[in-house]
Amino acid sequence: MEEYPGELRTPPVALAALVGCPELHSRITSHLHAEQPPINALALPDFSKITLFARTPKENAGPGRPVDGILKRDWLSKHRTKIPAVVAALFSSDHISGDPAQWLQVCTDLENLKGVTKGRNIKLIVVVVTQSSSRDEISEDRMIALRKRAEVDSKLRSTLGELANTYYRDEGRRVKTRVDRKSSISIELHIRYCFKVGVYAEFRRDWAEALRLYDEAYHSVREMVGASTRLSPILRLVEIKTVAEQLNFKISTLLMHSGKLAEAIIWFRRHTDTYRRLVGAPDANFLHWEWLSRQYLVFAELLESSSAAVQNISSPTSETADKLTEWEFYPAYYYQSAAQYLKQKSSCLELALSMSEIADEKNGSNESVIDSVYVGQFARVLEHGGEAFTMQPLTDEEFIRYSLAEGKRFQDSFEIIALLKRCFEAYNKNKTLRMASYCGVQMAREYFSINEFADAKQILDNVANLYRQEGWVALLWEGLGYLRECSRKTGSVKDFVEQSLEMAALPVSNTEDAQFFKDCGPAGPPSLLQREMIHKEVFGVIRGESEIALNEENNHLKVTDCHPLYLEIDLVSPLRVALLASVAFHEQIIKPGRSTMLTVSLLTRLPLKFEIDQLEIQFNQTECNFIIINGQRPQLAAISNVQPGRRVEMAPALEIATNKWLRLTYDIKSEQSGKLECMYVIARIGPHFTICCRAESPASMNDLPLWKFENRLETVPIKDPALASSGQKAIQVEEPDPQVDLKLSSSGPALVGENFVVPVTVTSKGHSVHSGELKINLVDTKGGGLLSPRDVEPFSTDNLHVELVGVSGQECEDQSDAGSDNIRKIQPSFGLISVPVLSEGKSWSCKLEIRWNRPKPVMLYVSLGYNPCSSETSSQKVHVHKNLEIEGKTALIINHRYMLPFRQDPLLPSMIKATGDFDLTPILPLKEKSILLVSAKNCSEVPLRLLSMSIESETDGSCTVRQKTEDHMEPAPIVPGEEFKKIFSVIPEVNPAKLKIGTVCLRWRRDSGDKEQSGSCTTEVLTKQRLPDVYVEQPPIIVSLECPAHAILGDPFTFPIRIHNRTQLLQEIKYSLTDSQSFVLSGSHNDTIFVLPKSEHILTFKLVPLASGSQQLPRVSVTSVRYSAGFQPSIASSFVFVFPSKPQFRLSDTTDTRLGSVAV
Amino acid sequence: MIVCVAVVGHQNNPLYIQSFTEADDALKLHHIVHCSLDVVDERVNNPKKSGPTLNETFLGMLYPTENYKVYGYLTNTKVKFILVTTDLDVRDADVRNFFRRFHAAYVDAVSNPFHVPGKKITSRVFADRVSNIVKSFGFSPTG
Repeated sequence: MEEYPGELRTPPVALAALVGCPELHSRITSHLHAEQPPINALALPDFSKITLFARTPKENAGPGRPVDGILKRDWLSKHRTKIPAVVAALFSSDHISGDPAQWLQVCTDLENLKGVTKGRNIKLIVVVVTQSSSRDEISEDRMIALRKRAEVDSKLRSTLGELANTYYRDEGRRVKTRVDRKSSISIELHIRYCFKVGVYAEFRRDWAEALRLYDEAYHSVREMVGASTRLSPILRLVEIKTVAEQLNFKISTLLMHSGKLAEAIIWFRRHTDTYRRLVGAPDANFLHWEWLSRQYLVFAELLESSSAAVQNISSPTSETADKLTEWEFYPAYYYQSAAQYLKQKSSCLELALSMSEIADEKNGSNESVIDSVYVGQFARVLEHGGEAFTMQPLTDEEFIRYSLAEGKRFQDSFEIIALLKRCFEAYNKNKTLRMASYCGVQMAREYFSINEFADAKQILDNVANLYRQEGWVALLWEGLGYLRECSRKTGSVKDFVEQSLEMAALPVSNTEDAQFFKDCGPAGPPSLLQREMIHKEVFGVIRGESEIALNEENNHLKVTDCHPLYLEIDLVSPLRVALLASVAFHEQIIKPGRSTMLTVSLLTRLPLKFEIDQLEIQFNQTECNFIIINGQRPQLAAISNVQPGRRVEMAPALEIATNKWLRLTYDIKSEQSGKLECMYVIARIGPHFTICCRAESPASMNDLPLWKFENRLETVPIKDPALASSGQKAIQVEEPDPQVDLKLSSSGPALVGENFVVPVTVTSKGHSVHSGELKINLVDTKGGGLLSPRDVEPFSTDNLHVELVGVSGQECEDQSDAGSDNIRKIQPSFGLISVPVLSEGKSWSCKLEIRWNRPKPVMLYVSLGYNPCSSETSSQKVHVHKNLEIEGKTALIINHRYMLPFRQDPLLPSMIKATGDFDLTPILPLKEKSILLVSAKNCSEVPLRLLSMSIESETDGSCTVRQKTEDHMEPAPIVPGEEFKKIFSVIPEVNPAKLKIGTVCLRWRRDSGDKEQSGSCTTEVLTKQRLPDVYVEQPPIIVSLECPAHAILGDPFTFPIRIHNRTQLLQEIKYSLTDSQSFVLSGSHNDTIFVLPKSEHILTFKLVPLASGSQQLPRVSVTSVRYSAGFQPSIASSFVFVFPSKPQFRLSDTTDTRLGSVAV
Repeated sequence: MIVCVAVVGHQNNPLYIQSFTEADDALKLHHIVHCSLDVVDERVNNPKKSGPTLNETFLGMLYPTENYKVYGYLTNTKVKFILVTTDLDVRDADVRNFFRRFHAAYVDAVSNPFHVPGKKITSRVFADRVSNIVKSFGFSPTG
């Protein structure tokens, strides 16, 4: 766009001229310029200069005279800068009101001015400039005389604007009348007039009108193409195109500025469609392409600068027949086209130059060729000495020579690259990577043509990746071809070899397509033949037989001793097509030292066969590495890289043909347990070339890129179909069989609370044990997780149900080695113990102590890891695992019961009230003796021996707990299921809300009989269980039946009922007594008595037993009126045994107590 | 005149690409077809721009470039057909008709039990049929 003249690029602005009063010009000019719409001002200092506007006499008078051109080059700039629409004549008021001489001068000036402006129809305006202070001095009649044509300064601008509009309209009309007489004027004039009217309309800001006229002119130009014969064909076409270009520019600008983006684009599309095929003469076709490129470039710049571009992009006019694609709204699209045509121009120019250079070389005349007066025409200036010169029109030949010389001066490549870079960046920003790639390829071609190889390589490397990914082989071929040449030129052997190998292995088959490919860069059209040529060339280089010849210098590149070449092919490398290594073990697990089969399969897609001299298979266990030597060329293969002691195999041939798996099967064995994985397959070709392929498993092998789209038979790396689908490049080498026994023994279930002992014995049976380690894990059989403290964050022993307490009794038969490096790590659920060195046949044992805090089944895992040989270096550990499930059980269940003393009942009012919600918490009478019965039942399956049972009271003084019976010194044996009971008496001394009784302490141990070994099982266990709290209440009344323990038939006895009132109140008590058949009773049956405060009343009855045996006493019921609580002794307490006669036994203390306790 | 037709697979890989002119460089046509995939992507990802062509297999003109016009078609299985023509004045109906016939030919070709889905179409019958369809382009009576 910059190459267009300024007057064309900017919208026309009306021009006014100022004459006279030069001191005011600058102010008026800036004022006019700042207005909307602006007016440009031409300031003439004095009236003598007005002749500038005068019309020059035209020599062409007759209409019949042929027209020399379409548009005059300087017409527009003349109207923009020289010919004003209005002349404002400024007169100072002094001059008008001054002396007659001055007045006369004013009149003359005006006359002159009128004379000049009439000729061009320029509007005239007379302005009288007054100084405000001197206004009075102007005589009234002169003011009136002037005011007819003069206006005051404030209105100057609008007047100027109006007059300018009038001028341009009039001029337009004047010319338009000529346009309308189209038939009678030549087509050139018609175009010229249309253009002029259009420009006048633009001066008036009548854009629609201007557009219409430009459009008409444009179409007339199009008609001229075949019609005019005025100039020689090349020059004529150049002129037509130049005019069309100007008109197109005007129209596009107008459309775009009025926001009609879609219309502008459609217009431009038509424009290019129309002219694209007007190539013209073949020897000047570069001019056409240059012109076309410029069209696109200018339009792109217009589009980019047009702010409307962003907003209107979403509304392509769908009603038009030619639907616009979204792509045409991007400036990048036009830049790309511009670059493409410029490229075409440069190649055409090159051709034309080469032809012309053969012809002759006389550039002397070129310098005098200049633009002629008409747009798009050229002329030669013939100087006649001094100032005088004449212009002579050019012939076609002269013009071509001139254009060629001009064309040679410019480097099109930089221009092309600059254009492409713009779209490359724009497309990349838009994430349209394919378009960007195409731009990239074009850029790279240009860089390549100007020998900027580094730039070309950088672009192509990225672009090639996209083509590889999407499988566009032909495009990749072209890119690689350029890359290969770049590498050759820059002398990068490695890149050259890589790119050559990849190219040679591309899936290009020799189809008829090859004929369609023409311009494929240095690689030539993609074909099998080309691939084979590349293959041969690169293998020559690889083997060191030939060298890469560089164009410049005499520098040859070669793979030699000092420049060995090492290629690495990993799982994503594009070179996998050149060499693919698949490795599969025939088994999944082997024993150490046993051999298994390993198949190495190699595949290539290179077009020709090639031989590998040496193949090295590398494993993660380096001692397994081996080398395969090509039997055909042993002298070559043996040359290098064979380390002493390495296994070397000889293969009859190591020749790989295209798309055929080369399968090599060897046996392999590993002494080391663990994973044996094949890492690399390294192929050596020639003395200095190495390809290192990452080994791949057949089971997880990716398809070959590019080739996967080819419709070909897939072959598998291994014949065995099972291995082909599931073969792995890694194998698990097992540990050697352990020759050590690990024994866990346990004596039945564990009991909660005791330190359960699990003996562990390690016995060597063939292996000696070195640096052995015993790992112990306790695992919850239900939950599955480890019983580790991590689960329960606030670590405390309460949370651990089962814990490993310790390891005891590490006894070693060979004491000398014990404790050398004794690792001992004991955690609640994990333990690590080191095992001393054991020679063959020896054994070692220890005891694990495990404590159960809760009943829970637990899995005990013990694993022994050891080294069979003493050397530290071999880390071949052997592991033995054992596990044992152990159940933890509660040994003794402790129960307790509270009872009242026999035949004594305190009245506890809250006990009576609390019948509704049944509270299990027992209530004990205050300061009365209650009986506590504690029982311990053996729930385990082993007999236990109870050592002692006691109650530890927690609070002193609040209650007294006393054993009813003395401790048995001899531990009481309890067989499974048996219950042991013990009686305590409890007397609450104070009355707190809740009384803490204490904790039952049970000391016991397993009862292993007499033959038990001392030590392990006889440890005492202390089981504690806290007794629940009880309520204590003051009983108001206590009733006790004081019946004797037994009676004798016929022997009367007294049956007192003692009622003790412990309150400060008088208690009214009702009682009744029912008769019993077995007794004769004396005393009142029913009565109401009063018991005085803090005293007791005794109801006494006399009874005579009438029958022997266990007889029921007469039943008494006592009712307290105050508490409305009745009391009736229980059935059990109202029986008495009646002897038929006085028994003959002696009552001793002990039997008495024994009887008492049994009777409970 | 149709200068190039192409079938492009799911990974934007060419399944079938054939030039029908010796006047133009096949490589350039490959480039043009490859670039047109960007337009297809954009059309498919921003369906509101193309408005009525939503749910339609025919994508319309993708973009004009140099002397060529590029048309696209997207099958239900997301296989793309690309057509490059040098004709200045192309009727939509002609192109639609072409793609319909081309699609039928493609369906027949991939229905071959020996064809592996996702691989290049190498069937000679398909090539002949395509070449016939290309030759008859623009002359169809449905026009």
